[in-house]
Amino acid sequence: MFERYFQNSSYDEMFDHDKNVRPHWKALKSNLEKIGLEQLLLKQKEIDWRLEDNGVTYNVYNDPGGLNRPWKLDPIPFILEEEEWKKIEAGLKQRCRLFNLLLQDIYGEQRSIKEGIIPMEVIYAHGGFMREMHGINMSLGMYAADMARGPDGKIWIINDRTQAPSGLGYAIENRLTMNSTMQDLFEGISIQRLYDFFETFKSVFQNNSRSFDSLNVLLSPGPHNETYFEHAYLSSFLGLTLVQGQDLLTKDGALWLKSLKGLRRIDTVLRRVDESYCDPLELRPDSQLGVAGLVQVLRSEGVKMLNPIGSGVLENLGLNPFMPHLSRYFLDEDLILPQISTWWCGQLHEQQYVLENLNSLIIKTIDRMGEKYTYIGKQLSEQELKALANEIRLQPHRYVGQEEIEFASCPTLIKETIEPRKAVIRAYTIAHKGDYTLMSGALVRVGTSTDSLVVSNQLGGSSKDLWVLGESEGIPLSPIFHSNAAAENSLGNIPSLRAENLFWLGRYLMRAIITARMIRSTLKFMTNASRFDHASTSQTHEMLTKALTHVTMTYPGFLDDEKSVPVFEEIASISFDPSRVGSLAQILMMLSNTNTYAKSILPLEASRIFERMGREWNQFCAEEKPYPRFIIHNLDKLLMQLMAYKELIQESLFADQGSVLYEIGGRIERSLLLISKARALLTPAHDPLSEYEILETLLSTCESLNAYRARYRSSYEMRNIIEFLVLDINFPKSLISEIEGLMKILPQLPKFKNTTYLSRYEEPIFEAFSAIRLSKIEILAALPENGYIRSELDTLLSNLSDRLLCASSELSKTYFAHYDE
Amino acid sequence: MIYSIYHSTRFMYQHEVGFSHNLIRLQPRDTAIQKVLDFELTLEPLAAECEAYTDFFGNHLHHLLVREPHSVLSVSARSRVQIDSNGLEYSRHRIHEVKALTYAEALERMMFLTPQIIEAKQFALKSPLLPIASTEILNYLFESLQYERSLYEGIIEFMGRIFNDFSFVSGFSDLSTPVETVFSEKKGVCQDFAHFALSALRSAGLCVRYMSGYIETIPPKGSEKLFGTDASHAWFSVFFPGFGWFDFDPTNNMVPLDQHIVLGYGRDYGDISPMQGVLSGSGSSHLVVMVDVSRE
Repeated sequence: MFERYFQNSSYDEMFDHDKNVRPHWKALKSNLEKIGLEQLLLKQKEIDWRLEDNGVTYNVYNDPGGLNRPWKLDPIPFILEEEEWKKIEAGLKQRCRLFNLLLQDIYGEQRSIKEGIIPMEVIYAHGGFMREMHGINMSLGMYAADMARGPDGKIWIINDRTQAPSGLGYAIENRLTMNSTMQDLFEGISIQRLYDFFETFKSVFQNNSRSFDSLNVLLSPGPHNETYFEHAYLSSFLGLTLVQGQDLLTKDGALWLKSLKGLRRIDTVLRRVDESYCDPLELRPDSQLGVAGLVQVLRSEGVKMLNPIGSGVLENLGLNPFMPHLSRYFLDEDLILPQISTWWCGQLHEQQYVLENLNSLIIKTIDRMGEKYTYIGKQLSEQELKALANEIRLQPHRYVGQEEIEFASCPTLIKETIEPRKAVIRAYTIAHKGDYTLMSGALVRVGTSTDSLVVSNQLGGSSKDLWVLGESEGIPLSPIFHSNAAAENSLGNIPSLRAENLFWLGRYLMRAIITARMIRSTLKFMTNASRFDHASTSQTHEMLTKALTHVTMTYPGFLDDEKSVPVFEEIASISFDPSRVGSLAQILMMLSNTNTYAKSILPLEASRIFERMGREWNQFCAEEKPYPRFIIHNLDKLLMQLMAYKELIQESLFADQGSVLYEIGGRIERSLLLISKARALLTPAHDPLSEYEILETLLSTCESLNAYRARYRSSYEMRNIIEFLVLDINFPKSLISEIEGLMKILPQLPKFKNTTYLSRYEEPIFEAFSAIRLSKIEILAALPENGYIRSELDTLLSNLSDRLLCASSELSKTYFAHYDE
Repeated sequence: MIYSIYHSTRFMYQHEVGFSHNLIRLQPRDTAIQKVLDFELTLEPLAAECEAYTDFFGNHLHHLLVREPHSVLSVSARSRVQIDSNGLEYSRHRIHEVKALTYAEALERMMFLTPQIIEAKQFALKSPLLPIASTEILNYLFESLQYERSLYEGIIEFMGRIFNDFSFVSGFSDLSTPVETVFSEKKGVCQDFAHFALSALRSAGLCVRYMSGYIETIPPKGSEKLFGTDASHAWFSVFFPGFGWFDFDPTNNMVPLDQHIVLGYGRDYGDISPMQGVLSGSGSSHLVVMVDVSRE
C-alpha cells in the first residue's frame, strides 16, 4: 500500500527520513494494510455517500456547479501522540490567556499601546479594530488556531481565528462518520473523545442563563452563507436556537427573539455573522444581517456574546513579531508554541528587509479586509513586484513579510493511491471556569496537490479527522452524541422570521399555481378559439386578457387604452420576465427565496422537486417559444411539479413547525385571487355567447368545472356561478368556504388564545364572513337597468378584499414585527 | 460671551415608521476655549429609551429608541456654550509660539513616541472616507508646505489658497464625492474643503482631525439676522508636536477662535455625523434641518 508512497517534503507525519514508520502510526498502518486498498476505496465511497445523505455541504459562492458542494473526508486520519498534544494544549491555552488580556486592553486602557509594547498602527490600521466597541467590557470566549508542522518537526501557529471561527460542526461530523464507517481502523488504537469538549461548551451557555425561560442563540447570516450547514448543525448540537438578524430586536437594554408567542430574552449569543455586519446602527449601515442597537446592548451588558464584536482585531499578522514581548508583558512567560517568522513593515529595518527580499517572501496584509491579502513573492512578475513595493511604501503598517515554509505531509487517499499531502490543523478552545479548554481533536484540511501550499475547502480540498492518542478522563455522560433539536418545538417558540416565511410560502405557492393556471387557460382559449368563428370570441378574448392583468396586477397591461397591446408578447412577458412585478417568473423567484429559508423543515423530496422545477423552468425560459402549445405544455409540467411540491408540504409539515401559518397564507392568497378573478369576470355584463365562454374558462381556472356540473347539472349561468364560487358554503373552493376556513384556523395562533374578544387580525375576517354570509344571490346577480356592472357584487368583493388585506397586515404586525411589545 | 445654539431636524416619512433607532451627536464637547453650560434634547414623538455616552474620540452621543408608530420624527437640540476669555487669550498666545516650528522639525519630533504623539498619530492614518492623496494634490499642498518653513504659516497659506481657488457651491457634492473630484472641479462645501485638506495633510505625514460644529454668522450691515438660517459647519485641526492641536477653517479663510463652536471631532465626517438612524418601514423620506447660532 505504501510501497509507492513518495515523500517529497522535508517532514512526513507517518515516515521518518529513513522511511521507517513512526511508532505512533504503526497500529494504523497495519490496520490500513489489513483493510487493503480496494476495500479502502469502497470505504471512501461509503463516506461520501454518508456525508451526502446527511446533507453535509459547503456552500460555494458563485459556484458554477450549483450552490452546495459536498463535504469531503479522507478515510485516513491524522494522528498525534498524547505527549505532543499536551504541549500544544499548554501552548494554545497560553495564547488564549494572552489574547484575552490583550483584547481587554485594546478596548480598555490601551496600556500596551501607550507603553509602546505594540505599535499603535498594528491595532489602529487593522480593519477589525472597532472603535465603537471602545470601553465595552469583553473577553475572548472562544478561539481557534490554524497550525502545521514545520520542517523542524515542531507544530507552528500559522493563523489565529478569534472572530467567528468555523469548522467545528465539520469536525464533529468527520468524527461521527469515521465512527460509523471506519470501525476496522480503530482496532488496537485508543483515542481521546470529542464529546467532553461539547459538554463543556454547553455548560458555558447554561452557566450564563439568567432564567429558565431565557434563550441562547446562534446568530447566522442565513442559508446563503457558505457554512450554513454548520450553523444549523452546531445550533442543534449545542441546544441553541438558530436565528438571523431579522429574528431579533433590541429594547430595554436587552436582546430579544421575536417568536410567535412574543418576545423572548436572549442571554448568550454565538455569532457567525461577520462583526462589522452585526449592527446597522453603529457598524455598517448597509448591513441586512444584523440587529439595530446590538452594540448598545453589549455596552450595557444586556447580553453576552461568546465571540465579541471587535475580537477580529486579534486575527492580526502584525501582532506576530510582538507576541513574545506581549507574552512577557501580560503573562511574564515565554511563548510556548513557535510562529512563522514575520516582519512587520511599519518598522523601518523590517520594511527594508521585506522590500529587498520581496521575490522570495510571502507578503500579507495584517487583516483580511482587502480584496487581496496574500502575495507569493516568487509568483509575481517584475511589474507586480514593483506595484506591491509601492503599496507597501504608501501604507507600510498594513503589510507583513513571512518566510515561505515547507510544511509536513501526511498520507492521503487520492483517487486510487495513497499520496503525501500538506495538512493544516484547526484546533478549538473555549473559555471555561477562568481558563480555556481545548477540544481533544481537530479539523484537518489537506491540500489539493502534492506541492500545494493552499489548503482550502473553497478550492475543493479534502479534510481529515484528527486522532489524539490516549484515554479521555472520566466516563462519558452519554455514549453517543445526541441532538437537542427537539427541545424547541412548540408553535409559540418558532422564530418570527420562520413563521413569516411559512406564511409567504403559502401565499407565493398559491399565487404561482393560480397565475400559471390563469395563463394556461387564457392561452388555451386563444388556441381553441381560432378554430371557431364566433363574433363573440373577440369580446371573450378581451375580457380574459384583462382579467389576466387584474389577477397578476401587471398594470397597465391589457387595460392600456392608449395603444393596442400585442397579445402574445404581453402574455410572454407576464409569464417569463423575472424583472416584471407580478409576472409568473417573479412569483417563482419569490417562492424560491421562501423555499430556501423553509428548506430545513421541508422533506428532502420537496427540495428535490423544487430544484428540478427551477432548473427546468429556467431552461425553458431561456428557449425560443415558437407557438402557444409549447408554452401550454410547459405550464402543464410546471403545474404538476408545483402541485407535487404543495402536496409534499401539506403532508409533512406539522403543527409545531408552524403549518397553520402556511395554511393561513394559502387561504388568504386563494381568497384574494378569487376575488380578483370574480371582479374581472363576474361583475361586468357579457353578451350571451361570450358569457358562456368566459364562465367556462373561469371555472376551468378554478379547477371547478366538474364540481359545477355535478352541482347544477345545467349549462353555465351567471347567477349559478356567482352563487357557486362566492356564496356556496358547501363547496370547499368557494370564497365563503375559504374565509370560513380562515376564521376557524386563526385561533390556533398562540397569542390571544381563549379570550372573550376577537384579536385585531380576527375582526376583519369575522366581518368578511358576516358580509358574505348575509348576502343574497338575487341582489348580487342583479344588473341595474341599462347598467353593465353588478355594483352590489363589486362592492361586496372590494370590501372583502380590504378586510383580507387588513387581517394580513394586522397578523404581520402582531406576529412578525412585534410593534406593540 | 455665551452662545445659544438651536439645531432641529425633522424627518418626514412617506409611510408610517414602526420604530427607529437613532444615534445623535448634537451635544457640544468642552474645549480649551468653550464650556458647555446647558444641553437639552427634545424628541417628538417621545423616545422610549435614551442613553448618553461618549464615543471613542470623547464626543457626546445619545442613543434613542422610538417605539411609537410615527410619520414625522423631529429632534431638536438646544445648547448654551460659554466662550472662556482666559482660554481664548491662551489660544492666541499658543498661535504666536507655534509659528517657530518648521515642517521638518514637526516630522522629526513625531518620531519620538511619547504617549501624546502615539495618541495623535491615529489621525495620520488613512481613514474610511479619505484616500491617500494623489501626486497632483500633494504638489498643490507642497507649494505652501516646505521643510524649512514655519508649518503654521504654511498651513495658513494652504488654507487661504483653498479659500481663493475653490468656490463654495452647494448641491454639487455629497458624502460620496471623491476628494479628487472636489480638487479637479475646485468646488464644494465646507465638508469637502475640510476633507480635501485632511487628505492632503495626512498624506504629507501630519496628524489631522475633522472638526464638526457651528459658526456664528453675521448678517450684512443694515439687514437683520433671520432665526434658523445658520448651518452646521466643518473645518480641520492639525497636531503640532510639542504644542498640541490648532484649528483652520478653509471655508472662511480664518483661524477658528471665538466665532466657532465645536460639536466634536473624528477622523472624517463618518465618525461624527450628527444623526444616524435605522428604522422599520419602507418608502422615501424627506428632511428639513434648521440651525441657529446667536449670542445671548
